[in-house]
Amino acid sequence: MAIAVLRFPGTNNEQDIIRVLKGIQGADPYLVPSRQGPTALQEADGVVIPGGFSYGDYLRAGAVASVGDIMEGVKELIDEGKPVLGICNGFQVLAESGHLPGALLTNESARFICKWVYLKVSEHTNRFTQGLENAIIRVPIAHAEGNYFCSNDILDKLVSENQIAFRYCDKEGNISDENNPNGSIMNIAGIVNEQQNVMGMMPHPERASRIAIGSRDGILILENFVRETVC
Amino acid sequence: MDLINEGKVKRVYADPESPKRVIIEFTDTITAGDGQKREEIEGKGLVTCDTSEFLLKYLQDKGVATHFIKRLEETRLLCRKVDIFPLEVVCRNFAAGSFCDRYGLKRGQLMSEPLIEFFLKDDSLHDPLLSADAIERLGIANPDEIAFMYSVTLSVNYYLRELLSQAGLRFVDFKLEFGKAEDGAILLADEISGDTIRVWDKDEDSLDKDIFRHDSGNVVEAYGRLLGRLKETNPDEIPVRTEFLTILVLPKDGIKNPPGEVTRKAMTRLGFEEVVEVRAGRIYRVKINRPISPDILNQLHEMNMKLLSNPIAEKTEVRLT
Repeated sequence: MAIAVLRFPGTNNEQDIIRVLKGIQGADPYLVPSRQGPTALQEADGVVIPGGFSYGDYLRAGAVASVGDIMEGVKELIDEGKPVLGICNGFQVLAESGHLPGALLTNESARFICKWVYLKVSEHTNRFTQGLENAIIRVPIAHAEGNYFCSNDILDKLVSENQIAFRYCDKEGNISDENNPNGSIMNIAGIVNEQQNVMGMMPHPERASRIAIGSRDGILILENFVRETVC
Repeated sequence: MDLINEGKVKRVYADPESPKRVIIEFTDTITAGDGQKREEIEGKGLVTCDTSEFLLKYLQDKGVATHFIKRLEETRLLCRKVDIFPLEVVCRNFAAGSFCDRYGLKRGQLMSEPLIEFFLKDDSLHDPLLSADAIERLGIANPDEIAFMYSVTLSVNYYLRELLSQAGLRFVDFKLEFGKAEDGAILLADEISGDTIRVWDKDEDSLDKDIFRHDSGNVVEAYGRLLGRLKETNPDEIPVRTEFLTILVLPKDGIKNPPGEVTRKAMTRLGFEEVVEVRAGRIYRVKINRPISPDILNQLHEMNMKLLSNPIAEKTEVRLT
């Protein structure tokens, strides 16, 4: 199915995503530079907003991209129930545009962090995590603003509505402060919206797509995403 | 028509058609010295009404938010209803009047920058000078409102000064009043005429109320000359004045601020041990090509919410300078 991979000025993970998606049966990824505007999304069955540094992270990471024209097209697809996945900077864009609750603040260390981490997948799976309930997966992170923050009210709702998809953990799946890389509330690494068709995650599943590069756990998430574009 | 309020030289009536509007009638009364000196001069209401209509309309065209809606018959203006702040906002380009007496200055001395002063509008107290703090402590206006009036007064000064200079006149000083409309918008209110501005022709000849104060001629005739000169100007030629706004964005209280925290540690490491906390945010300096108005502030608020700050984690503060 047709999967639009957005590229804002400063996005730099779009080729990685396209390469991995091409290897998944049924996926027909195509690049959409943001200047093409919402019409370029008319044929899309799903959207990936990849990582990078859209607009140089000026203002706040994801803020300028979140008010771009193209996001009107993304909103339409979201309203139609099509799956939208935001990875890293893509998560920041989705949070800034209000499609996902909360905000991604500067890491607690105030540093850019690039390393492999373990994630615990929620037992309550969603369209993106089917078949992965309670799984411990290994994927890399690379960000300076991945410190997930939200009000207590929103947090209560994320928990009660099963919107938390991934939490940082250790190899055994223990979730604690020691294995929280960036200071996120409740070790949150990824969430879905209420309708469960929009997911944002700071870790990079596309960088965990081959054993040769350290893990292929990420591809399971992307395969789910592709399958959902068919529905 | 129901009389709502009667001032020294104007009457305010309720507009039978809308509770959000009033009808302001200019009378022939002229007063000076906190109302001690008082006279009726035929034609004075008409010329001050004409002048106010002309100048308020001109300022509105330049983007200043005023209470003026339209001219009615005789000496009446239809205006938006506002709650007037009990303040006289005075702006001076040259020393004159009470300012010279207060500081012992020579009449006509040029200010390096326009000077804005606030006075309490109360004849029984002889309109005392107010500091910004006093305005706030007396509960008359809050700091944001004071800053707004200050900024608009500077814009008005610019646009009137340029217009008068086109007419070959020197703009000495003026008094403004502001009011709050039912929707909370602060509007330039009252009147602008020979009664409220000081204007000099060549040789420092007054075309304003100083003629009445000093019994030095026919004041209504002078007001008429002022209006005539204004009508010969070309307001379209007056260039737009740019205004600056500063928007501060800071992390909300209670939210961790890692950039501030590492900055604090670095400052301590460099020997500044007294630093207890640093909160790091951003500053935007915005240049706009219109006077500050309630509409501009609303748009700015929207921009703050949508783009400049993330309301989940940040708070903002707008400074009108």
